[in-house]
Amino acid sequence: MKGPFSSTAGRTAATKARLDTLCPEPPLQLASLPGTFLTLTSLSFLPMPGSHQDSGTVVGKGSLSQLPEGCNRSAEGRGQPLPSAHFFQDQGSSGRRNCGAAWCLSSTPPSGGVHKGRGSGGTKMQDRLHILEDLNMLYIRQMALSLEDTELQRKLDHEIRMREGACKLLAACSQREQALEATKSLLVCNSRILSYMGELQRRKEAQVLGKTGRRPSDSGPPAERSPCRGRVCISDLRIPLMWKDTEYFKNKDLHRWAVFLLLQLGEHIQDTEMILVDRTLTDISFQSNVLFTEAGPDFELRLELYGACVEEEGALAGAPKRLATKLSSSLGRSSGRRVRASLESAGGSGSSPILLPTPAVGGPRYHLLAHTTLTLAAVQDGFRTHDLTLTSHEENPAWLPLYGSVCCRLVAQPLCMTQPTASGTLRVQQAGELQDWARVHGVLKGTNLFCYRQPEDADTGEEPLFTIAINKETRVRAGELDHAAGQPFTLSISNRYGEDEVTHTLQTESRGALHSWMEALWQLFFDMSQWKQCCDEIMKIETPAPRKPPQVLAKQGSLYHEMAIEPLDDIAAVTDILAQREGTRLETPPPWLAMFTEQPALPTPCSPASVAPAPARTHPMPWGRPRTFSLDAVPPDHSPGASRSVAPLPQQPSPRSRGLFSKGPSRTWLQSPV
Amino acid sequence: MLLQGHQLRDGCVQPGQQRVEIHKLRQGENLILGFSIGGGIDQDPSQNPFSEDKTDKGIYVTRVSEGGPAEIAGLQIGDKIMQVNGWDMTMVTHDQARKRLTKRSEEVVRLLVTRQSLQKAVQQSMLS
Repeated sequence: MKGPFSSTAGRTAATKARLDTLCPEPPLQLASLPGTFLTLTSLSFLPMPGSHQDSGTVVGKGSLSQLPEGCNRSAEGRGQPLPSAHFFQDQGSSGRRNCGAAWCLSSTPPSGGVHKGRGSGGTKMQDRLHILEDLNMLYIRQMALSLEDTELQRKLDHEIRMREGACKLLAACSQREQALEATKSLLVCNSRILSYMGELQRRKEAQVLGKTGRRPSDSGPPAERSPCRGRVCISDLRIPLMWKDTEYFKNKDLHRWAVFLLLQLGEHIQDTEMILVDRTLTDISFQSNVLFTEAGPDFELRLELYGACVEEEGALAGAPKRLATKLSSSLGRSSGRRVRASLESAGGSGSSPILLPTPAVGGPRYHLLAHTTLTLAAVQDGFRTHDLTLTSHEENPAWLPLYGSVCCRLVAQPLCMTQPTASGTLRVQQAGELQDWARVHGVLKGTNLFCYRQPEDADTGEEPLFTIAINKETRVRAGELDHAAGQPFTLSISNRYGEDEVTHTLQTESRGALHSWMEALWQLFFDMSQWKQCCDEIMKIETPAPRKPPQVLAKQGSLYHEMAIEPLDDIAAVTDILAQREGTRLETPPPWLAMFTEQPALPTPCSPASVAPAPARTHPMPWGRPRTFSLDAVPPDHSPGASRSVAPLPQQPSPRSRGLFSKGPSRTWLQSPV
Repeated sequence: MLLQGHQLRDGCVQPGQQRVEIHKLRQGENLILGFSIGGGIDQDPSQNPFSEDKTDKGIYVTRVSEGGPAEIAGLQIGDKIMQVNGWDMTMVTHDQARKRLTKRSEEVVRLLVTRQSLQKAVQQSMLS
């Protein structure tokens, strides 16, 4: 169930500033609240259990430190809502004011209630949701702070900022392609925020469990070996379509859809580019390579295909009002039930993100069309087809006739294959010559033990003296062997080549060295057993190229035409430019306006007829450069009698020198090839 | 008289003007026309070697690549470009002119040009 996307357009600077002051406070000593977090999003609509009635008194106490105790008492870790929910269940306005006081730690108490100054100024419902959203953010930040997990916190903050930027952009943009891209960014940000929140909760749980005295080292088996991490890359994604005849389409118009893929592995979420699909395409092909680092052999790569119906321009204009009224009237128990149901079924990772069902400011809605999960078994150095689970049906406006499968190339590179896992000096007994020991520098990398003449050779790319293969069939034994009697700290590596068995005997420098070599070899065997087919041969991963700016939006006059936006860029920069652009438009009226208005557009008292009319089509001007007017040019004269080549240009007394124009008369006569 | 057949058909073309239709050539990622332009309202017209009137800030053809699409279409060096696909080129900056000619979405550009030789012929015929 996909909720419409929230827009923080109504949030004023005052509210935001208050939130920001709240966050840098020292971390609250919140007790662990496993499982309670996500329920915060649906709090306002869930009926409260009877036992919580008394904690309504917490409201009036106005101190946040009371909350954790309340939580401990009541929260059993299975979806019990936070007592803070009572703030909102209370229908009276006094409840809300109190809650405002309770939550506000900064020195500026909110006057007149939390919802003061909301631009939307709408229903109680909207305010309630805004408050919940703010609290969500506050809660997330506090949790991150308390965990002292700076990296995750930083990522979370980044996503939250991106999300706000995307909301602003969505509210400000006028063209549907921009709206599609902005909505997509919003969806991705939402998903990321949710997954980081989930991860934070897990870590918080782990931390609390660690603190409550369960020491795994006392009892239980010794620490288990964990497999090495690896890089997983998925590329060349292609989803075939199955267009039947016109029965699906009510009219002859070219229906178009905007689709993209969301890929999630663990807590990392990445997206592909957005592609516009219509009947002329037989497949949806994505060009992006998506790379995940830090994957374990038990990874689950969840693939989700989102699509939105791209309507004609007219329809979009009407949508916001319809949507808003529909949502504001229907938001209530039914949507709360839906939200709760979806949260319960959502489980852990990768469900369709629902941050808060706030009324949308009219943007395209993406629906989940299909999904699938890929694991290690699907990894192959080649193309494979996997089944897709289709989730939308024909009534859904964004439904696409998917064939039901996805082709892709999924490869994994375990770190043990690409990076050396052990290295050191060894003395190798040459096979066949019992007494001859060669001193080599051994490097264990992947499925080989390379023996170099000198340590530097490994770096310079010199060929090793020889290589000993280490694979699943290799047998390694440590200790003294018959023919190495008298030589301590040896290990032997045996490989079978057909009928023959070849054994290399290696001597290490010390017992410690022997131990660490054995350890490295055992780890390698373990990794090979875990990563299975990935360890047969190194699978090639191409570095994903930086995403090109969306080409389809190269329309003159659009924001995207004027600059390339990297998805990772700070959207705040974009919104600044957007605001500046809007401002510029208002400040410089076209010069021909002077002919029709009383006030001269130009401070010079030139006659309007001498003003060169601006071209009817405005070209995107680089910002900061005002237009170049040519006061001494004659307006185009369409009368016959071609006097153009001998145009008598009135010699005005250098109007340019009046300081109106930034450019003086040019001294160049440029030539450009076309 | 130097009027050509197509000029008589087309009512909008003035005497002394000529229509030139250039089909762009694809070179890798770009579409090229095979000529160079000079001039513009932001340029210094006194340096224009092709114009008769040294205050003329129009767009002139300064070079035509041999064997290129422009040459094939009949464009000549020294031509003054009046319009490109209907857009006026007499009152544009240099960069605007370049952009109007190099739109990626257009594979064919129809230019309206005047040529000195044509101009002179027309004037002479009008005087006579």
